[in-house]
Amino acid sequence: MWQQIQEALSGSAHRVLSRLASLLPGLLALMLAVLICTLIGAALAWVVRRILIAIKFDERISSGAPTSVSDFAPRRSATLLVSRIVLWGFVVLGCIIGISTLDVSADSKDQMTTFFLPYVTHSVGAIVIFLIGNLAARFLARTVLIGAVNMRLQYARFLSLGIKWLVLVLTAAMILDHLEIGGSIIALAFGILFGGIVLTMSLAIGLGSRDMVSRSLEKTGPQDAFPTPPPQERPKVRHF
Amino acid sequence: MSTTAAPQPSTNASQATAPALLLALPPLDSEQLRAAFGHLRPVLAGLPVLVAYPGGGESTDLPFSTVAVTPTAAIPPIHWIHTAAEYLNAYKMMSEYQAPRCLMLGSESWTLAPQNLRAMVTVAMENDTDLVLPRYTMSPYDALVNNIILAPVTRALFSIKVHTPQPLDLAFSMRMAERLAATAQRCTAANQNDALLWPVGEAATAGYNTQEVTMDTRSFPVPEVTDLTQLLTIVAGSLFSDVETRATYWQRARTQATVIGSEPLVFSGESHKPDVTTMIETFRIGYKNLSEIWSLVLPPNSLLGLKKLSVLEEQNFVMPDALWVRIVYDFLLAWRLRTINRAHLLGALTPLYLAWVAGYILGGRKEAHIEALAAAFDSDKPYLVSRWRWPDRFTP
Repeated sequence: MWQQIQEALSGSAHRVLSRLASLLPGLLALMLAVLICTLIGAALAWVVRRILIAIKFDERISSGAPTSVSDFAPRRSATLLVSRIVLWGFVVLGCIIGISTLDVSADSKDQMTTFFLPYVTHSVGAIVIFLIGNLAARFLARTVLIGAVNMRLQYARFLSLGIKWLVLVLTAAMILDHLEIGGSIIALAFGILFGGIVLTMSLAIGLGSRDMVSRSLEKTGPQDAFPTPPPQERPKVRHF
Repeated sequence: MSTTAAPQPSTNASQATAPALLLALPPLDSEQLRAAFGHLRPVLAGLPVLVAYPGGGESTDLPFSTVAVTPTAAIPPIHWIHTAAEYLNAYKMMSEYQAPRCLMLGSESWTLAPQNLRAMVTVAMENDTDLVLPRYTMSPYDALVNNIILAPVTRALFSIKVHTPQPLDLAFSMRMAERLAATAQRCTAANQNDALLWPVGEAATAGYNTQEVTMDTRSFPVPEVTDLTQLLTIVAGSLFSDVETRATYWQRARTQATVIGSEPLVFSGESHKPDVTTMIETFRIGYKNLSEIWSLVLPPNSLLGLKKLSVLEEQNFVMPDALWVRIVYDFLLAWRLRTINRAHLLGALTPLYLAWVAGYILGGRKEAHIEALAAAFDSDKPYLVSRWRWPDRFTP
């Protein structure tokens, strides 16, 4: 009996260790692939950056336009954005090559690529959605805030916050859906949260603007038989 | 450039000799064209002037030469201001008809007093001035964006005392037209036919001479853009871009250029004060909500000034000129550094602009106030130059 347990244990340890040993060259290859691709990416990013600086890419892309890609780029430089995309593209490529190498070095029945590769690509997609969602939320929130202030809306900040959270909730739901985490719970929770925010905003805006609405309704109502003469119109400012 | 300015058969074009002046009209419908010709008839009678107008139309029995032209660059449907395409077309027409000078009139030019138009034509034809600008007589509550942003910034940075840096009616020489066309060409090549050009900046950097002509009031076309924020984005944004392009020029200390015929600004007669309640309210709402954005652009001292302003009663409400000057210069700097999105930046300037306007209307000093503001822009220019060169340096 003891003999059999010992054999089973040593057999299992041997199998695990031999499998780890068979994985080691693959792991090394993964690290090497990532390292080499990062170096190539860094070199290419440097070359791309020099070329874009030489052709004054930043100035060309942002000349005159109030909104350009530079507004969303690190340090407001489209050149830096493009060079970083090149670098990180190569890092991701290195990861993909490395995972494939792992698969080749291990037993074919393990099929690590089929498990890891979609997850890596989904994770990259999720990170991109997260970044875009955050940028969009901040941009839209500011646009709404400034627009609402210039329209003299007292609840400008509230409106801006509402828009920001709507976009953030949408982004979070998209990320979880993309990573296939949570399943139908996410869709349900998103629906409740999104609907809740919209309802809250509608109520707040509706209650806040009731004076404006009642004035508008009064204007379209039946005319007074003896209207009071309108006050003398004051001159207007002509800005340009 | 796709085509050249092609002359169409004209009923009244004597092209044996080159005209002394090309008068370029904006795109007009047939009724407006008739009104324009009727207005020009007594002014141009007997003068060697060629009147060019885009499109076709009747032009019979006129005491001056006319020609209908097909514009080289498509003119955008913007009537309240001259666009890059119009400057490019004017240059093409000048080259085509060998006209040494051009007088470009804006929309509703028939509301100009005939004697004013005559004066403009005479100055354009007889003097060797490269750029002739009008100085309209207006109400103190008109053209405020021009009087408190465009004119003082142009004056301070380009060291040239002009009152209308974005004129609706202007005359220029061939070499000036050439420079304007070169800039316009860059815009039209980038498919920005509706871009604005800044002739005063061009003239100042080239060292060309400028003249101002006193004009009575005229009817100004209403901008298609009714939203103030959009208007500021178009006009002030364009000026800020021009200032950014010419940074190497204006950073050097220069003596004030001589402008022939320059006189202090004079407003038309007394008029009732416009209502400022909504302007002050916009500023107060802005102060409550936009402080976070303003703090990205303005130094602490300016923010403190705005805080003090936000608690003032309406009867005491006035923004100090020094504060407004700093605000404009800091926003100009933020435009250059792209501290925040440029459309957001000018949107955030709107409540501050309205605050200054409200104080100006309540103050009632009018010409003296505008002149004092321009002087404040001049004296604070070293601040802008310093921050332009070293933007990261601490500013209290």
